[in-house]
Amino acid sequence: MKLRDKLEILADAAKYDSSCASSGAPKRSSAGKDGLGTTTGMGICHSYTPDGRCVALLKILFTNFCQYDCQYCVNRRSSNVPRARFQVDEVVKLTMDFYRRNYIEGLFLSSGIVRSANYTMEQLVEVARRLREVELFRGYIHLKTIPDADPQLIALAGKYADRLSVNIELPTQESVEKLAPEKNVHTIKMAMGTIRSKLDESQDKRAPRFSPGGQSTQMIVGADASDDRSILDTAVTLYSAYKLKRVYYSAFSPIPDSPSSVPLAPAPRLREHRLYQADFLVRGYGFQVPELLDADRHLALDIDPKLAWALTRRELFPVDLNRADEAMIARVPGIGLRNAQRIVGLRRHRRVSWADLSRLRCPMQKLKPFIVVSDYRPAAEPQSEQLRKALIEPPRQLDLWGAAA
Amino acid sequence: MSTRHRYEIADFEAWRRIARELLLAGVPPHDVDWLDVSDSGSHTLSLFESAGGDVSAARAPAMKPNSSADLFSAADVSGADHQQMPSSDVAEHAAPVLRVSRQCLDVLRSAAMFRDAGRWALLYQALWRWQQGDQAAISPADSDGARIHVMVKAVQHEIHRMHAYVRFRETQGERPAGSPQFIAWFEPVHEILRAGAPYFRQRMGRASWMIATPGGIAQCHGEDIEYGPPIPQPPPIDDAGESLWLSYYQHTFNPSRVNARVMTQHMPVRYWKNLPEGKLIPGLVAQANAGSQQLGQTDSVGARKGAPIRVSAARAMPVREAPRTLDTCTRCELGRHATQGVAGIGPRNASIMLVGEQPGDQEDLQGTVFVGPAGQLLNQALEAATLSRDAIYLTNAVKHFKWEPRGKRRLHKTPAQQEVDACRYWLEQELTEVAPKVIVTLGATALRSVLNHARIKLQDQRGRPLRHGDTWVIPTWHPAYVLRVPDPRARTDALADIVAALRQAQALSESDVVAG
Repeated sequence: MKLRDKLEILADAAKYDSSCASSGAPKRSSAGKDGLGTTTGMGICHSYTPDGRCVALLKILFTNFCQYDCQYCVNRRSSNVPRARFQVDEVVKLTMDFYRRNYIEGLFLSSGIVRSANYTMEQLVEVARRLREVELFRGYIHLKTIPDADPQLIALAGKYADRLSVNIELPTQESVEKLAPEKNVHTIKMAMGTIRSKLDESQDKRAPRFSPGGQSTQMIVGADASDDRSILDTAVTLYSAYKLKRVYYSAFSPIPDSPSSVPLAPAPRLREHRLYQADFLVRGYGFQVPELLDADRHLALDIDPKLAWALTRRELFPVDLNRADEAMIARVPGIGLRNAQRIVGLRRHRRVSWADLSRLRCPMQKLKPFIVVSDYRPAAEPQSEQLRKALIEPPRQLDLWGAAA
Repeated sequence: MSTRHRYEIADFEAWRRIARELLLAGVPPHDVDWLDVSDSGSHTLSLFESAGGDVSAARAPAMKPNSSADLFSAADVSGADHQQMPSSDVAEHAAPVLRVSRQCLDVLRSAAMFRDAGRWALLYQALWRWQQGDQAAISPADSDGARIHVMVKAVQHEIHRMHAYVRFRETQGERPAGSPQFIAWFEPVHEILRAGAPYFRQRMGRASWMIATPGGIAQCHGEDIEYGPPIPQPPPIDDAGESLWLSYYQHTFNPSRVNARVMTQHMPVRYWKNLPEGKLIPGLVAQANAGSQQLGQTDSVGARKGAPIRVSAARAMPVREAPRTLDTCTRCELGRHATQGVAGIGPRNASIMLVGEQPGDQEDLQGTVFVGPAGQLLNQALEAATLSRDAIYLTNAVKHFKWEPRGKRRLHKTPAQQEVDACRYWLEQELTEVAPKVIVTLGATALRSVLNHARIKLQDQRGRPLRHGDTWVIPTWHPAYVLRVPDPRARTDALADIVAALRQAQALSESDVVAG
């Protein structure tokens, strides 16, 4: 099979993993050196495909031959998808050639399970080793970690990779048992635990380098009946137990010859978007999951989770932006972390007014009911229900996450 | 009475020299006309009002050699927040001391790359206000500051996009000496070539490359970057590497998620003509919209012949160690949020058993009891009591870690009585199997579990051996308590209590006195 055919099949097979981050690696430079590649700390998206997702890494499977039968996966063994398999050399050359032309920041390599978890992991590690030790490649490498692989192989993967990830795929043990019979939540957690322990050790400067960009995981949304509350609870469990950098949420999209165990319809992408928003509120703003999902088990689709929270906590508002602390200001719908910081900074010079917020490009309509500034205070308080109706995002914006047609 | 000053400005350095002179002379912004004569001056965007009027400008006067060493240059080289201007100048002009923060200067320098005829006037206005002590002039909430921030943001964005969207083509076959191996043509909206090019030196190692733009070129042959005047757009090179990229681009695209609007937000149409993949976009969008948009798979892959893998379910199942029954325990919910159950460890014929509360963060990860901070303290206590850790049996009342999230950490949570009760099933198995002569209970949870008595208090029992069936039970503190107690004296005492309990345990285990 020609290289181009392999690339087409194995890029197609890898597109369901939504992670494309290329940030978090330590700064490296090849200026005046043999070899190739740099990492600047922040990621660079080198292109975007018409699905709106960025292309930062060459994201491919080493092979899509797979002996597992995960029902949601196009590469499951019972699927009649065309199969291909790269040679180690081919992946190395593709990565270098793409990198030189400035198409990518590096490589994201995953694989179907062939022969055994250890054998599969060895192939991935060998690609990374070749890139680092033979080609002196200093770009970004993300390796998928096969949960049942030997911890020594995981240690070796972390020596070469900037990020490792183990996909949990589904939020509950019951769903994993049902939809991914060969996978096992216990071994997935054990692999994440091994990675976390190595990450902890690598804090010591004398310890060997280990996956400086940390670890991440992915959950498929809408392939099983799990609600948003269990998805976010699982995410929080993983963040704190294994110090994950990111949990990615991927709305399930139907696959060819879909088995009857998974839905035929795609999950709404807006749901995926709301989960990302809620996840960010938990990680960045100090929200607790029960605050965001108090009565309901699902996040609202029509309004964002911070607004939904604020509408149930009307007694906390309006917030006086000239008095409140930064954390509370950041909890006001329409004010992000950066603007909260700027507002507090501005208070050192003068009292914050309506025009200041407007210049900070805050969405004033959204903000209005929730704030007090030097020259503005909301009039009579409307009911939350009315407010909600008024603040629903206009359909044009909703369309952003729907089809472009 | 004021005189109007008129200057033609080609770049930031020229503006900086003049701005300095004007500040020292105390010339206010409304008395200066700035005329943009940069390479791009003739085709500037008119986002902001430009310095208007009929300006017959004079070229910036040549500076004296010593003063051309630059007004704000001291701030560039030092990391200090505020820099006093070179004193020679100040003395010469007997002018007020000029101070500018590094941050302010960086902001102005970035904003100056924004291609707009009105930029020099705006920058002088902001600098003037800064000098007057009005530091809000560069705050994004200020009216001047907001405009400057828009410019800075646009410039940073454009630099970032240059890093992203430059596309090199590799020269095929023999090259004339001195001509670069990788060539790119890029059309930035702002004057960012010099700000954007150094990244590629870090990226490309010793490879030789050139980035040509309508405003000039940057090239590098493995050493320093050289900048030069513009050259005509190089003819496209037929590069085989590029066609593989096009294949990749088409197949990493998920047609079931087509969303051209978001793509265009991130990658505006104006970049497409210099991106090899740009010409594929309209076709991909049309195809995706024409199809059902249901499947993520690219049609051409679906059209290939495929086959299921002939492996039986039994053979596909990975070989795993049979899970210890503890790992599959669902007597309570704690296992759901833990990594693994942590069983006791030690000789089956040990005469002393230590029972703690539950595994902690480290125990949960490593699967072994007493390996975290409390475990290290326990080791100290054992050493002080001259007891060998290997000779005793160590376990916990509860086998899974109970915790709650605190940011990125797990915070220990005391197990509830029903969880302790549920887990006694496991502890009793260990007690029966090891049948120790003495049990040292560490903390209240262990004491309650071992005595199977929910309301017994550690403070009432601590330090006194109790008889429990055939066994001696010695209640003492949990080592985690020692780590928690703030008062150093109380801490030393608590540790001494644990050591005393361990010594007592040893003495009782060696004596012939049988409890009961």
